[in-house]
Amino acid sequence: MDESFAKDPLSHQHFLTFVLRDECFGISISAVKEIIEYDNVTPIPLMPEFVKGVLNLRGEVVPVIDLSVRFNKAPTEIQKRTCIVILEIPFEEQTVTIGAVVDSVSEVMEINMETIEPAPTFGARIRAQFILGVVNTGDQFVILLRGERVLSVEEMTAVIENVVEK
Amino acid sequence: MKTILIVDDSISIRQVVGLTLRANGYEVIEACDGKDALAKLTGQKINLIISDVNMPNMDGITMLKEIKQLPAYRFTPVIMLTTEGSEQKKEEGKAAGAKAWVVKPFKPEQMLLAVQKLILA
Amino acid sequence: MDLTQARLLFIEEANSLLAVMESCLLEIESGDAEVAEHIDAIFRAAHTIKGSAGMFGFDPVVVFTHNVESVLDKVRSNELEMDAALINLMLDCQDHMAAMIRQLEDETVSIDLQQGAALIEQLHQYIQPQTEKAEPVKAMIHNSPAYWQLDIQYGDDVFRDGMDPLSQLNFLQTLGSIENVTALWAFPDNFDPESCYLHLKLDFASEASKQQIEDVFEFVQDSSTVVITAPQQIEQSLQNIPPSDEKLGTLLVSVGAVTERELQSALQVQQQLQQQSQKVQALGEVLVGQGAVSADAVAMALDKQKATEHKRPPDFQFLKVEARKLDELINLVGELVTAGASIDSLLQQIEHEPLQEAFGVLTGLLEQIRDGALGLRMVQVGESFSRLRRIVRDVSKELGKEIELVVSGADTELDKTMVEKLSDPLMHIVRNAVDHGIESKEMRLYKGKPAQGQLKLSACHESGSVVIEISDDGAGLNIERIRQKAIEKGIISADRELGKEEIFKLIFAPGFSTASAVTNLSGRGVGMDVVKRNIEELRGQIQIDSIPDKGTTFKIRLPLTLAIIDGFLVRIGDTHLVLPLNMVQECIEFADLHENERNYLDLRGEVLPFIKLKQLFNLKSDAKAKENIVVVQYGNHKAGLVVDQLQGELQAVIKPLSSMFKSLKGIGGYTILGSGNVGFILDIPQLVQFASTAENTACHPMS
Repeated sequence: MDESFAKDPLSHQHFLTFVLRDECFGISISAVKEIIEYDNVTPIPLMPEFVKGVLNLRGEVVPVIDLSVRFNKAPTEIQKRTCIVILEIPFEEQTVTIGAVVDSVSEVMEINMETIEPAPTFGARIRAQFILGVVNTGDQFVILLRGERVLSVEEMTAVIENVVEK
Repeated sequence: MKTILIVDDSISIRQVVGLTLRANGYEVIEACDGKDALAKLTGQKINLIISDVNMPNMDGITMLKEIKQLPAYRFTPVIMLTTEGSEQKKEEGKAAGAKAWVVKPFKPEQMLLAVQKLILA
Repeated sequence: MDLTQARLLFIEEANSLLAVMESCLLEIESGDAEVAEHIDAIFRAAHTIKGSAGMFGFDPVVVFTHNVESVLDKVRSNELEMDAALINLMLDCQDHMAAMIRQLEDETVSIDLQQGAALIEQLHQYIQPQTEKAEPVKAMIHNSPAYWQLDIQYGDDVFRDGMDPLSQLNFLQTLGSIENVTALWAFPDNFDPESCYLHLKLDFASEASKQQIEDVFEFVQDSSTVVITAPQQIEQSLQNIPPSDEKLGTLLVSVGAVTERELQSALQVQQQLQQQSQKVQALGEVLVGQGAVSADAVAMALDKQKATEHKRPPDFQFLKVEARKLDELINLVGELVTAGASIDSLLQQIEHEPLQEAFGVLTGLLEQIRDGALGLRMVQVGESFSRLRRIVRDVSKELGKEIELVVSGADTELDKTMVEKLSDPLMHIVRNAVDHGIESKEMRLYKGKPAQGQLKLSACHESGSVVIEISDDGAGLNIERIRQKAIEKGIISADRELGKEEIFKLIFAPGFSTASAVTNLSGRGVGMDVVKRNIEELRGQIQIDSIPDKGTTFKIRLPLTLAIIDGFLVRIGDTHLVLPLNMVQECIEFADLHENERNYLDLRGEVLPFIKLKQLFNLKSDAKAKENIVVVQYGNHKAGLVVDQLQGELQAVIKPLSSMFKSLKGIGGYTILGSGNVGFILDIPQLVQFASTAENTACHPMS
């Protein structure tokens, strides 16, 4: 435990890994605020499918996004282990709190940044710009995501506007 | 040149007052208590006396009463330095003939103003 | 406090002082102001800006403002008159100062240094002549005897006490100049060469305060009688102070007409008289009797005490609170209201009368706290009105029109955020009215109207909302021209039949501008569509009424606050919706007999169009659920909203919609319900518009 902090902070970073549609993803814990169980999400009228709704996080109303739909896959089925990862995404010099729905949360991993390989140009079936890189942990591949792109407020706003205007 | 006698047992007060007054064109003589002051009065021309009340050897009010007995100095104006809240001392001083007073602590400029109201440099 | 924060405070302070300066100047110009009062306020504003700017080392601001202050000082002392030319110059200076302050905030703002230099040059012309020519000073002396009258009856013991009257007179000259000395001698029979028989009367010209002058005689006060009469000018400054409920003595001391010592002695005399004769003599009479002050001054001060209902000039007696702290407090109050609602819903489930009663008391207090907290954010709408005054003045001057601005209800209170956000739309409407609404002088005379046009600005409270009206007595909107233009611009089709109101509404359509030649005044790239949007963002509505050759009226209706509303909760499936309670008229059971064939019903003989929210928002709900209609009214519009269940009234803390969902029509924000669920607050006007657009699209798919 302790020795992890002794290492060069630049070359080693912590990632929260989670499972989505049987694939393992990672996101830098610096963006993660907390993880909560999937509950009490209020759907918003007329929204595209990737918007699950909003939830009341101790008085703050937080939009909840279905990552699976963002990755052009079928919507997440809500099960016992379904979680919402609460993330802070930079937007216009501020941070916006957004919840991302995942099938289950695995662990916090320390990853040596030098072992990260660039995203495959194809094959991951996820837009390449969403991916920071891929890391082989020995027993599996973990796709490390760029939180600010996956949950780009600007882009999602545009998509929503498109859907609503129709 | 006008001469002022400053009577105080605190050397710092004598110094500051002395400096301020000298800088404004007055001659200043210093005395450290009432006895010392009376000793310095003999024969000298003094235009104004500034005196503390509480001093060793002879206090300011006793000194003042003595001065009022001296023909050459009985009309010399006196500024008493009183401490805030010592109304009684002030009244005693007034009775003894001190009609002007400055409340301690004071700033050098305040002292200068009081002096200027009484004598011209 | 670190310096950045202090700097921000300075900027804020400077800006509010500049606003005071501007509004005072404009009020002087329009003639509806106590000039002296306002000049004092203007002077103080400049003086304070100079002082604080100096502390921060903003030297250019200090130098410039110093010049302004010098001129104002001359105005204050009646050496200069605040005439139209000087008001113009002062307004330009105010603009320049504002620019300098803006630059402190934002370095990219550039300042026209040449203009600054030119202004200083002009200011100097006001300052210099006085030192060259002596006449104006003389004239002034003639007008107001600016001399202090000193009557010094030296006591017998003065010499014996070592006091030297000459020293005092010399010292007195450090405060001003002795203009005239009259010595009165009265030698008694038993003349004593050591006694002092001097009695002097002095005319003393000085800027010093009465206290300062009295202090010169501090050491002879006990043995002598010193009566100091303030020059008329000082006593007249009583006229310049705001009406006050201060005590008479305090008032007189505050302007320097009476010193603290004189007041104390008068109060003592008053008390003694009362003890001796059981008679109460007015303090003013005692003071006059002692020669401390003139009877006129007392009368004037008494007037000020009475005139408390008289309009107060801009004052700075406010507590400055960081907006952030206030917002945090209001947020907390919001949470408190939500938490209260949650307890309330739990209490509904148990039968416990004492508990419910106790909670009732708590709810009452909560409401008071809520209203109080929201009240903290309320400011007078007049703040933005005074900016408009400037615009009317500048624009009408530029166009050579004569326009009188009549303001009423400037003290109506509105949420600060709204006042700020309202400022741009109001400015635009006012510009338009001056530019296009009110006709040129010649045209007005030709039409048989007075040459001077009139623009009325008014604000008032009307059933839980604030109504702001801007009306001009100009040409009115030209219905035919608007129609033509809308057709040209492709906003409407040529064969569309439209009522008067609908045509007026066209000017709010994006890309519409009525002026055939866009002058540089109105044409700032902002159209009426932006005005409308701004108002709607504040959950407000705007209406137009116009009569040819009589004028046009814009009516803006705004909610009192942006933070909390009294709402009416309804449910469709699992979706909770909150309607603003003040728009809810009634609820009726809905029996959908006609199955989508038509979307209106007969409400006691009146046609009521309705919106099926379930369909509009594409919500899932139990098909068999009984439906209800909530009848809502806003302005002159009435509509029915079809919902599943009515759940009653609640206080809804409004949380703004996440920026991601801004494109969503008809929903103005969230609120957190007592159950912890998120409810959506409906924006009724937007919703109705959205529904009618949706319907039109459905009926005419191509248009």
